[in-house]
Amino acid sequence: MSKALELAERALRAAEGDEALALANSERSGLARFAGSEVHQPTLIENDVVELQIVRDGRVGVAVANRTDDEGLKALAARAAEAADSAPADPDFPGLAPKAEPPAVEGYDEETAALSPEDQARLAAAAIEASSLDLYGFFTSALTELALASTTGLAVSQAMTDACVFALAAVDDASGHAEQTSWRVGEIDPAEAGRAADAKAERTRGAIELEPGSYRAVLEPYAFAELLLYFAYDAFGALGLLEERSYAAGRIGEKIFDERFSLADDGLDQRGLPKAFDFEGSPKTRVELVENGVLRDVVWDRATGKRAGRETTGHGPPSSLRRWGPLPFNLSVAPGEAETTEELAELVGDGIYISRLHYLSIVNPRDGVITGMTRDGTFRIRGGRVADPLVNLRFTVSMPELLAELPGLTREPVLVNEASYYDERYPNGALVPAAATAKFDVTGTGSTPGI
Amino acid sequence: MPAERADFATLVFASVRELCEEAVSAALAAGASYVDARVVLRRAQTVATRNGRVDRLDDIESEGIGVRALVDGAWGFACDRRLGKDGAQAAAAKACAFAKAAPGGHRRALAPLEPGQGEYRTPVERDPFEIPLADKVAHCLRAEEGMAHDDVKVTSAFVRAQREKRVFVSSDGAATDQELVECGGGIDALASHRGITQIRSHPSAHGGSSSQAGWEYVESLAFEREAPRVGEQAAALLRADPCPSMVTTIVVDAEQMELQTHESVGHPTELDRVYGTEAAYAGTSFLKPGDLGSLRYGSEHMNVTADPTTPGGLGTFAFDDEGVPAERFPVVAEGVLRGFLTSRETAARIGSGAGGSMRADGWSRMPLVRMTNLHLEPGEGSLEELIAGVDEGLFLQTNKSWSIDDKRLNFQFGTQAAWEIVDGELGRLLRDATYTGQTPVFWGSLDAVAGPDEWRLHGLTNCGKGQPGQHAHVSHGTSPARFRNVQVGFKS
Repeated sequence: MSKALELAERALRAAEGDEALALANSERSGLARFAGSEVHQPTLIENDVVELQIVRDGRVGVAVANRTDDEGLKALAARAAEAADSAPADPDFPGLAPKAEPPAVEGYDEETAALSPEDQARLAAAAIEASSLDLYGFFTSALTELALASTTGLAVSQAMTDACVFALAAVDDASGHAEQTSWRVGEIDPAEAGRAADAKAERTRGAIELEPGSYRAVLEPYAFAELLLYFAYDAFGALGLLEERSYAAGRIGEKIFDERFSLADDGLDQRGLPKAFDFEGSPKTRVELVENGVLRDVVWDRATGKRAGRETTGHGPPSSLRRWGPLPFNLSVAPGEAETTEELAELVGDGIYISRLHYLSIVNPRDGVITGMTRDGTFRIRGGRVADPLVNLRFTVSMPELLAELPGLTREPVLVNEASYYDERYPNGALVPAAATAKFDVTGTGSTPGI
Repeated sequence: MPAERADFATLVFASVRELCEEAVSAALAAGASYVDARVVLRRAQTVATRNGRVDRLDDIESEGIGVRALVDGAWGFACDRRLGKDGAQAAAAKACAFAKAAPGGHRRALAPLEPGQGEYRTPVERDPFEIPLADKVAHCLRAEEGMAHDDVKVTSAFVRAQREKRVFVSSDGAATDQELVECGGGIDALASHRGITQIRSHPSAHGGSSSQAGWEYVESLAFEREAPRVGEQAAALLRADPCPSMVTTIVVDAEQMELQTHESVGHPTELDRVYGTEAAYAGTSFLKPGDLGSLRYGSEHMNVTADPTTPGGLGTFAFDDEGVPAERFPVVAEGVLRGFLTSRETAARIGSGAGGSMRADGWSRMPLVRMTNLHLEPGEGSLEELIAGVDEGLFLQTNKSWSIDDKRLNFQFGTQAAWEIVDGELGRLLRDATYTGQTPVFWGSLDAVAGPDEWRLHGLTNCGKGQPGQHAHVSHGTSPARFRNVQVGFKS
């Protein structure tokens, strides 16, 4: 039995006599953060957290603790029970998830799990040494175990590994970025990331301004993934649909996007960061969100499923994010035919090339309008070729308009890390190719590349 | 030796302090030239309701020890959830090992400091953890009822409380014991009709407002009194015209000025960003170290102060997470940059001050330079007088969206509501307003800040920074302010 599942079952026993669900998260991680080519904030974390949900006559209370001795778990159960007793009964409570056999998924790698702090520092050093410019970023790896046990007979656990190198090569007037993510550290080459960031940065010197307006654009996977993530969290969750506040409300079944665009949420894909079950213990399933431009579905959890007469798709969120409803944590975009981003630039002809984005914000969720900035590698495309470097651009885009005409996508999707490592670690990422769009709205200019 | 303990209320300070001392000794023995150890015990309680149902009712506790060690000029940080001798020693050993493995040249120094020693407790009239959870649920549900309207599809309300004990010991002789208590909340009404969705919030969007105070703060937010207005305005926005694009005069309410100050003054004046150590994530700053004392940040009406001693501020403490005593100081005075937010390391690097703005999220994160309480100092007069001084313009209220570039120059904010100003008076309601600018140009267009009677302290709990990510709780005192020649919407 895994350490996390053992903890979950002990917490469940502490709630003796109640209907209950225990979730345990065990993290052992190291993050060697560097700036100016020196590791300056190296952080090692070991933590075990257990969340206990107690249900009494339809009244639900939750308590969380990281004190896991018997006395700590007893106190945890008492607090969860007090919370449940304080809540009015919820007629819409769907009940705890039934016993289920989660699908077999990959996502655990012995070599990654065994990385020591010295290894993490060495892999950070490999990235740093490969860049001639000062490097900023991190190497991180972790072993995370998630387990759930419940009085309905649920007993599931998953050990997950993840590793990520993030490299930003930067000086006063130039900056470029590269990153690699995998659940297998053997697939990560920090030196290659350092070299790629350095090469990108060198191309950004002498950045020029650009007039605001609507441009054709190439979006590298990192930029495309971040836009899709912000759009999807609002548009492709069932709660927003049921509350008539999301873009998807009233549009399911409509052909809205380019027929080249298909989007799924797929926690089972071993090329991503695979997941066997959600935070309710329900098995993960692949959900087709958009098929050939037609908006097909959103993701569901047990509560929204009960309201709509649907089954959960395995997208129950952690309790701290419950106000958002079910969330698509594993986006996957169907690839296209282009071999390279240079081919996409040829399709664009005249436009802009965007490597990475910064500080996105949803301006209007109902219409899918998002603003943000480009950074660390924005270029003009002229005559089908990537040309002059540009200053960072303010954009305000309607995602449906951006996705309405996609002249091309690359053949190979990239696993883009979507975790910022707040709170308890939960590795998640999106499988996204680069894309060309016919409409990307630039609404202002900002700072030059560089630090 | 396990720490002597019962629960948060009866935690024995001397015992926990011994654990910190154990960690400090262990790290010094392992070769550290400087080390600090911090035990944090946090209890956080959230009650949230949505459309008449309990959406979230949880009670979260977290505890552990974090050790930061400087070995041959390199930092290492490690933590352990076990509050015992084993945990303290393990965290110290791992912090030193990680520091020794860290690649780089490493010539880090710390500004000299008279070691801080002492205790601090948030003054509280009514302990928020003494308020029964059922009463908190009822408080939220009453507010929801008040927001009811035919066009309002989603009502939500929440209250939160947090108690945090922080015990800190450093090898420089600092030894502090602080207990910080927070509470707060907020309400939202979301209206939808014929494909349009609008939201109104009170007292702030994106998580309400919190204060270091007792339950009396939540009561002062007056959910029940404000709820009908919130619901009605959300519904009214559905039928409002979209805000047109133009260059005009804007009067910005105190709540939106909180975020404006946070994003375009607070973050760029964090000295770690100026030195580039946040470049890969949160970004850097348009400011340079040499700008101190000379850079014109804004007009003469702009006075910004950092003050970790503000009563009720979420960034209020007696000592920061390096043991530096709290001190109020000017950041911008009459439009000129006068101060940076610093750590002992960045203060030594710039050769000014002794730090005082280092804060860590809980026990499992390394301290970073963070805002404490950052205030836009009040000017003169009332909000009405600011509006009366506008022939044509807009009054903008309550943040809806926010974005700013990695050097904190180009920003774009959206607000939940906008009102036309015509001949000094408020006119029709408009929806979907945004405004944009370049930080020093925008602050240069500031021509008035309302007076002390309009000054409000807002507390936000979602300021993100660092890798691994950390949330900081920060307060800003602001009054409504007026800016001329601002781009609203997009340049045509």
